Formats: sequence, structure tokens, C-alpha cells
Amino acid sequence: MEYFIQLVIEGLATGSIYGALALAIVLVNRATGLINFAQGGMAVLSTFVAYALVNAGAPLALAILGAVVFAFVLGAVLERVIVRPFERGDPDTAVVVTIGLFVLLGGISAFFFGYEPRQFPSFFGLETFNLGGVFVSLRSIGTIIVLAIVVVLLQLLFRGTKLGLAMRAVADNPVSASLSGLPVSRLLMVGWGLASVLGVIAGVLVAPQLFVSPGMLDFVLVYALAAAILGGLDSPLGAVVAAWFIGVVENLAGAYIDIIGNDLKIAVPFLVMIIILIVRPQGLFGRKVVVRV
Amino acid sequence: MNMPLMNTATKLTTNRWVRIGIGIAIAALLIVMPLISSKFVNYQLSLMAVFAVAILGLNIVMGYTGQVSLGQSAFLGLGAYIAAYGVTEGWPIPLIFILCAVVPAVVGLVVALAAARLRGLALAMVTIALPIIGIPLAKRFREFTGGAQGTTVSWLRTPEWAEGFLENDQWRYYIVVIIAALMFLLARNLVRGRMGRAFRIVKENEAVAISIGISPYRYKVLAFTIASLFGGVAGFLYLGVVQYTSPETMSFHTSINMVAAMVIGGSASILGTIFAAIYFVLVPNLANEIDPSLTALFSGAILLAVLFLVPGGVVSLPRRIAQVVRSLGRRGGSTDGPPAAPLSPSDRALAPDTTTPKSTEMNNTEKNNRKRQGQ
Repeated sequence: MEYFIQLVIEGLATGSIYGALALAIVLVNRATGLINFAQGGMAVLSTFVAYALVNAGAPLALAILGAVVFAFVLGAVLERVIVRPFERGDPDTAVVVTIGLFVLLGGISAFFFGYEPRQFPSFFGLETFNLGGVFVSLRSIGTIIVLAIVVVLLQLLFRGTKLGLAMRAVADNPVSASLSGLPVSRLLMVGWGLASVLGVIAGVLVAPQLFVSPGMLDFVLVYALAAAILGGLDSPLGAVVAAWFIGVVENLAGAYIDIIGNDLKIAVPFLVMIIILIVRPQGLFGRKVVVRV
Repeated sequence: MNMPLMNTATKLTTNRWVRIGIGIAIAALLIVMPLISSKFVNYQLSLMAVFAVAILGLNIVMGYTGQVSLGQSAFLGLGAYIAAYGVTEGWPIPLIFILCAVVPAVVGLVVALAAARLRGLALAMVTIALPIIGIPLAKRFREFTGGAQGTTVSWLRTPEWAEGFLENDQWRYYIVVIIAALMFLLARNLVRGRMGRAFRIVKENEAVAISIGISPYRYKVLAFTIASLFGGVAGFLYLGVVQYTSPETMSFHTSINMVAAMVIGGSASILGTIFAAIYFVLVPNLANEIDPSLTALFSGAILLAVLFLVPGGVVSLPRRIAQVVRSLGRRGGSTDGPPAAPLSPSDRALAPDTTTPKSTEMNNTEKNNRKRQGQ
């Protein structure tokens, strides 16, 4: 039983990392109707900024803060300069644009830092403690708490501030929003900036485990996309719940079902995802989209 | 200004005899090429033919039918593994070829029956899952796949009757190019016929498709199955050229690079697919020559540049240049240029996307042009 709880907590911790990136994807999707395959690439580049700052002698907290600022600017600039001309157009072209960004950002990271994985200090130390027979690492608990705080902050932002209200208005109907005097262009940039910040949070949280390298978030991104789609692309809560679900299911299936084991556990969440999508094409928490002719 | 010249060029390329002449010249070049080239060049040329077939399949499902697929590498890998297993078991080559085509097609059919219910992005997601599930599966079933090390084979050697005058690499080149050419002929007939028109309507507007009695679901499944079949055949050819396959063949990076190459070459265009394959093999090589860490940077930058400047891909470059020249000319005040030369019907059939400015980036560039003219 203790082992089971341990597995669940670790699953929730990995799920939280998927969740942060999934939230970023949902945020972008709500604001601009796109799926951003470059979300992971943006996060990696920002994580490299944190790495460079740490190497330059900055304290970890300051380095992370610097990376967050960089991520916000990066997201806003990319939206304005590269993605804007393709928004509200053919969604397939837009997907290819973000795939191009994904490749390009990976290339930039590789050009400056090379492909060799680099160590990154953990914000939470390496201690584990014993809670009635259950061994939990400070890192797992910390990761889960960080995601919980992020979710609460996002809720406060969207429900309790004027900025959040304006962003929801833009997501809901950009034309009416701009007619009632909202600076739609700037709000879209803010949306992308925020999403990019969520990405770097995921990057910094997972960096001590995976090391920093241009491809470090490739798999996290795929899981995050799965979580975002599973939760319904327009539901932040759905994305987080789905991400936790994926993390836990993956961990449990790997540990308890012999034929799956450690090497096949990556396939489990995708099989679950495919089955759920077939039953509920709009995702667990998503709204059904009606296409008008 | 340039217009008369441009018109002559268009007339020349639409003339039947000129077309046949160009065809014969290209065929002759393809036949002579391996005889005068080094082993390395032949290897690269054969690889281009291999990936041309894989990207052709991708183009059918994505370019013509408008369904984003990020799973093409899984079918490439599956085909390569089936071929590798067949070769090690000593099966006859025609049987291996048929299995390499049929098994991936059946797998693709099963996946599509489920996935085609989904729209756009969810479909992209399900398809990206294929290589991600495929790689650990390949590592797990070691007795079939050779695990993480992969399988090395030695087959498709020059037969005895040709031993005197053909090296292995030349023989393999001919086999691969002939099969690829047949696949291209098949694809060309498919997309020009009834089925191709149905694909295009499904891409354009599903509601319209339903209203004229075309089931989007059935045609999506069909397109995906055909794409998987092409992927499997490409896998067979891949093993023929490389003589080795490993889980890395399936890597989703390969899929993503194929999508990028397809868009760069020209989406929904047979000719564009050939450019795509040349790009897919050549550009990483060139970038590697300069600096290996630049490869990704180059591919990303090129893809974005193409999307911004020539949204129809390399294949639409001549038309795009003509368009830009025309708008520049008009700005200069000369309005006596004749209207754009009508496109030949066959050109239109090849590249429906580039003739109808329906995508936003096209509209945007047009708007920009108009703005510039207004100044």
C-alpha cells in the first residue's frame, strides 16, 4: 500500500510537469485557436537562459526570474512577429508554422549550447522524507505544490482582474473585443507571453531530472499535448486533471502490469488517450464544437 | 516588360511535345546518373527516391485531403522492419514487398477507422502517438526487430547476369527508382481521378462534401490508408538502400521533418513532392558540411521563410515570382501588361492550393501588395 501511494505521488509530480506545459497549450489555444508545437522549444530556450545565468554566478532564484522575464518577452515577440499573420487562417498551415518554430528554436538552443546534456541545480534539494512508511521526495511535493499555486494564480488572473477579463473577452470574440476598445493585439501578445512563462516553469522544474538539452522537453511536450487534448483543448482544469491522470496511469501501469514494464509505459497514456478520444472526440472536459456551414 | 517572355515560357511548358521531351530527358538523366556517379552520390539519390515515396503518401493525406499526419515515420519504420524480418527469414522478395505494402496499410486502416472521427488537431495528436508507441514496441519485441541495436541485412545485391557491369549500389538505385516511379504514377492517377477530387472537397469543406454525397469519413480513412501503404513501401525501399533499420527510423523527428519538407516542396503537388524529397536528403547534408549544430536552425528558418514568402512551396516559385514582378510592374505605372496567362488545366490539377488564394497568408500578401500600390 505504501508503495502504491508512493507511485501515485510520483505520478502526480511528473503529471504536474506535463500539466504546466499543457496549461500553456490550452492558454494559447483559447487565445488564438492554435496548437503550439513550439511551446516546448520556447520553454527549452528559456531554461537555457536560466542555465546560462546560473553559470554566470547568479543565485538560482534570480536566474529563474530572469528566465521567466525572457520567456514572457520571447512568447510575446514570437506571437507578434511570426504567428500573427497565420492566426485565424487555415489551421493546418498554422500548425506547420508552429512546427517550423519548434525546429527553429531547437536549432537556436543547439547552436548556442550544443546537444550535450547539462546539469541544472534543483530548486528543492534532494531530501526524501518518510510519511508513515511512504517515502516522498521534497522535489515531488514541491513540483505538485508549484503547479497548484500556478493554477490558483491563473484562476485569480482570469476571474479577478481586469486584464484577465479582457483576455477572456479576446478569446471569446476578438472582433467584438476590439470594437469595444480592447487592445486585442497587445492582449494576444500577453497571452502568448504568459503561456511561455508556464513553459519555462515546467522546464526549470524538470531540468534537474532530465538535464538541460535542446531535446529535453520533446517527450514532455507530447505528453502535455495529450493532456491538453484529453482534457478538452479549452479547459485549463481539464488539462491539469488529464495531466495528473496521465502521470499516475503511466506510473502504475509500468509498475503493476508485467507485460508493460518500464519500457512500454510510455505507450499507456496514448492508448488511453486514443480510446477516450474515440468515445468523446471533444475530450473529457471540452465543449462540443459545432461547425457552421 | 517581362510578361511576353513569361507567356512564352508558359506556352512552352504546356506544349505537349515539349512536355514529352522534358520527360524523356529526365528519364535519360535518371538512367545515366548512377553510371557516372560515385557510390556516395548514388546512395543519396536512392535515399531521395525512398523518401519521395514516403512524403508522397504524406502529401496524399495531408496535402490533398487536409488531414495533419505526424505519424508517417511509424509506417516507414514498420515497412522497414517487415522487410528486415522477411530477409532474415529468407522469404521471396516479391512476397516481402507485398507484405511491406499490405501490413502497414492494414495498420493504417485500423488506426484511421478510429482517428478519422476526430478533427484536425486531435488527429495530429493521435498520429504523433504512433511513432511514440512504435519505438518502445520495437525495442520490446527483440526477436523480430533486433531491439535497440536494430537489424542489419544484406540483400538486393546485383544478380549474377548483371554482375559484370552493375555494382550493388547501382543495382539498388535502379530497383528503388523504378518502384518509386511506379508509385508516383499510381499517386498521380489517384489524385487526378475521381478519388482525388473527392479528397479535395473533403479538404475544402466537409459540409459541402456531405451535401454532394461524399462521405468525409470514408475518404479520410481511405487517404490515411493509402498514405500508410506508401509509407510501408518506402520502408521496404529504405531497407533496400540502407540495409539497416533501428527504432530510430520511426523517430517522430523524421515525421516532423517530412512534414516540413512536404510544405517546403509544395503541398498538394506531385512535382512538389520530388522537390520535398531532394530537400529532405540534401539540406541536412549541406548543413552538416558547414556545422552539424546548424542543421535544425537551417531547417526551421527555411520552413518559416517558405511559409512567409512562397506559401505554395518551391513548386509554386515561378508563379509567385511572376506575381511579385507583376505587382511591382503595376506599381511602376505600366498598366499595359496583359492579364496573367491562364494556367493550363493540368497545372491546376496538380496544384489546386496555389491557384486559389484561399489561405490567409496569400490574402495577407495580396492585401500588402494592394496597400503598397495605394501609396
